[in-house]
Amino acid sequence: MIAFWVLAAILIASAVWTIVAKKPVYSVVALLLNFATLAVLYVTLSAEFLAVIQIIVYSGAILVLFVFVIALLGSGVAPFPTGPNRLPKIWLPAGIFTLAAFGFLIYAVSNVKMAAAPATGAVGNAGVFGSVADFGKALFTVQLLPFEATALVLMVAVIGVITLGGEQMSDAEAQQSRMRADRAVREAILREGKG
Amino acid sequence: MSVPINAYVTLASVIFFIGVIGVIVRRNPLIMLMSVELMFNAANLLLIAYARLWLQNVGHIFAFIVITVAAAEAAIGLAIVVTTFRPEKYVDVDDIRTLHG
Amino acid sequence: MGDVGVTHHLLGVAGSYPMLLALWLLPLAGAVICWAFGPQLRSMAGWLVLALVGASFVLAALSWHDGTQNVAGAAGANQPLFSWMPGFDFGLLLDPLSLLWTFIITGVGFLIVFYSIGYMQGDRAFARFFAYMSFFVFAMLTLVLSDNFIGLLVGWGLVGLASYFLIGFWFERPSAVAAARKAFVINVVGDVGVMFAIFVIIAHVHSSGFGDTFAAAGTFSAAVILTICVALFVGAAAKSAQVPLHTWLPDAMEGPTPVSALIHAATMVTAGVYLIARCAPLWNASREAQLLVGTVGGVTALLGAILGTAQWDIKRILAYSTMSQIGYMIMGVGVGAYEAGVAQFFTHAFFKAQLFLGAGLVIHALSDEQDIRRMGGLWKKMPFAFWVMLTGVLSISGVPGFSGFFSKDEVIYGALQHGHPWLDAIGIVTAGITAYYMFRLLFVAFLGEYRGEAPVHTGGAGSWIMNVPVAILVVPSVAIGGALLFGGDASPWAHFFAPLFAAQAHLAVAQTPAPAISENLTSVIVVIVVAIGFLVAWQRYATATAQRNAVDRLRVETEKMPAVLTNLFYFDAAIDAIFVRPSQALGRFFGQVFDPRVLDGAIREIVVTAGWLGTLVRSLQTGLLRAYALILVFGAACFIAYYAIAGAAH
Repeated sequence: MIAFWVLAAILIASAVWTIVAKKPVYSVVALLLNFATLAVLYVTLSAEFLAVIQIIVYSGAILVLFVFVIALLGSGVAPFPTGPNRLPKIWLPAGIFTLAAFGFLIYAVSNVKMAAAPATGAVGNAGVFGSVADFGKALFTVQLLPFEATALVLMVAVIGVITLGGEQMSDAEAQQSRMRADRAVREAILREGKG
Repeated sequence: MSVPINAYVTLASVIFFIGVIGVIVRRNPLIMLMSVELMFNAANLLLIAYARLWLQNVGHIFAFIVITVAAAEAAIGLAIVVTTFRPEKYVDVDDIRTLHG
Repeated sequence: MGDVGVTHHLLGVAGSYPMLLALWLLPLAGAVICWAFGPQLRSMAGWLVLALVGASFVLAALSWHDGTQNVAGAAGANQPLFSWMPGFDFGLLLDPLSLLWTFIITGVGFLIVFYSIGYMQGDRAFARFFAYMSFFVFAMLTLVLSDNFIGLLVGWGLVGLASYFLIGFWFERPSAVAAARKAFVINVVGDVGVMFAIFVIIAHVHSSGFGDTFAAAGTFSAAVILTICVALFVGAAAKSAQVPLHTWLPDAMEGPTPVSALIHAATMVTAGVYLIARCAPLWNASREAQLLVGTVGGVTALLGAILGTAQWDIKRILAYSTMSQIGYMIMGVGVGAYEAGVAQFFTHAFFKAQLFLGAGLVIHALSDEQDIRRMGGLWKKMPFAFWVMLTGVLSISGVPGFSGFFSKDEVIYGALQHGHPWLDAIGIVTAGITAYYMFRLLFVAFLGEYRGEAPVHTGGAGSWIMNVPVAILVVPSVAIGGALLFGGDASPWAHFFAPLFAAQAHLAVAQTPAPAISENLTSVIVVIVVAIGFLVAWQRYATATAQRNAVDRLRVETEKMPAVLTNLFYFDAAIDAIFVRPSQALGRFFGQVFDPRVLDGAIREIVVTAGWLGTLVRSLQTGLLRAYALILVFGAACFIAYYAIAGAAH
């Protein structure tokens, strides 16, 4: 019980820090903490397999991807963007309404007595609920179609990334783009110095 | 289960909500994507909690698929970010206006 | 409407009368042919129309026996045309009343068409004129030959249309166009009156035929009868130029003189008289209506005479005299002296046509000069015209022995007989004034020395065409009154109309106390008054000194004319202020304010709103990623809110 509350607190805190952090790298680290805590929470919910998957895929693959991109873009240099906020002026009322809606939702669901439905489904007959065997049996027999569909989604993603990755630049183009980038940085530094 | 299900629902809602705020308020596309990941995770939490409540492992399957799709989406999103914003001083989503009607 | 199984009363003996049909339709054929083949016919158009109208007259004469038959109380001939619904049968009725009118229309019309061939010679639109004349004859025949109110109304409207055509015949003249429009608009007011009366009749009788209406006249309440009579009289007043709907008649003189002679003297303006005489059973049932009509007739007679003394245009003098004489007719038929009123119509048709045609001779000879101040001395230069006009003036003034004397006396005494001594007095006074201004016309225009500048050219190639009809008209204008009317109730005239009017007339007379003055005494009084009028005119215009100083005296008279008279008792001004100005203002309002701003503005507003909406929605397409994200989230929040509330309601 206490475990839940502690974990909940860490979850929320790390989530908030994710979106508030000045540098993207800090956000990534906060997110990592969030995912890890979530994994622990899954364990308390008897979903061991998924807890591990969470760690491996989310923390291990996706966040690493984020780190790579941050490195590539070098956007950890600048803090918050300085351009004008071009969001239309309606964002404030809309935001407040959204806040209210969600708040109300949270209030509503938190007070509703949700009956604990009886366990109508069979416990994984390959053993304990939430174990690998249980999960695997379900995945490859009952839920085969979603599995295949997921495979398709992954393939699409791969193709998409490759397409978006673009053509290989020739050496001349690469050199030109590097020179452009250097110039941009030097000018930025000069501007920073003046302003 | 000593923790009432309502607590999980509330928690998931809060995290989801934080993710929404992150998407709207922050202008750095990377942070936006991370906020989206937060939303995914909130949903996952809910799925797993209910799977535990009703002892159905369909919830686990669903959560698994969500993770997969989230990974794919993150990959594509980051690819877009990389192609759109070559090394700049800073990246600002408000600078791209190709969807202007 | 139109109950089946109810017996319908028909006036006249039903049957097949091909001559009646032919005489009705021949003028229409003439009009159509002249309209269609005007340019090809050229001068033949006049002779064609003359032949057709003459044929109609001959057919009418041949239908004498049919028109005067009297079979078991059904007087006259009825030619059914077609039946629309039971109770709405359309047909032609030729009875003594309509037969008389037919004779005048076709007979006097024949002479006037003959005259017009000479008068309109050389006019550019020669064929069009005769098409219109023929059309008018047809329309007037429709009016008098219908055996039901709706047919009468059709004829009523068509003669108004023909009048519009003919008044505005020389449409290059703006004054003519304005006069035509004025006549038509005032006539429309009358049309509405007649229509309203027809509505009331149909509502009560469920039929529009004369026979049904008159048979049911006894069952109407006093208010209904009065309503019908008043509404019909509004129509009659407009068509017959009675006060206050008379203002169009003097302006109608803008038309060619033959038009003035035929339409605005002999026939169309008498349509009101015909209507009242035809609906005698209705009028006999309402004493108030009779009083109203009689009074209006008398007032018009007096007013017209007074205004006639102040005019200088020869045709306007005749126009006001027409108005005055029709006042007599209306007064006659209004009070119930139907034979008298109709007799006045009959004699008036002849001498008024003669006067107009004679005036036309003068106008034609003086190259369209119409102001009598610029005439004078014509008795030497145009002796034929002078003698013709003299006979006409003698007749209209009611000099004993001439036609006008007999008919006017009948009307005046008839008013007394039916219990209206005041109207009798008005009639007598008007007779005197009539004598005055008609002799004034004669003296100023024909005596003394010629005061005008234009050369007088009489003779000429076609002048015999104009002179012959005028000469022919002298005979009836002088003699026909005495021939037909002499003898009062025993006269041929009374016999002629006995089936129609005798029964009710005697009934009415029997109800009123015997008049204080006998008929002969009334005649003597009238003669005295007429003589006074003549002497006053003589003294002012015809003495030797008057003739010598004519120019100065006329100038003095022009300057000293009271404003009331020159402004025609301000009727025109009143109508202008009450009706014309507000209508124009209303029209301007709608045309310049309402239409462009409200109606067009509404449509423009729709367009503008569509554009505005588009711009509004387009503002959503910012291209801003975060804005789209915000919209997404906002929409999701709405859904969630809805379900949360709906779910919480459970």
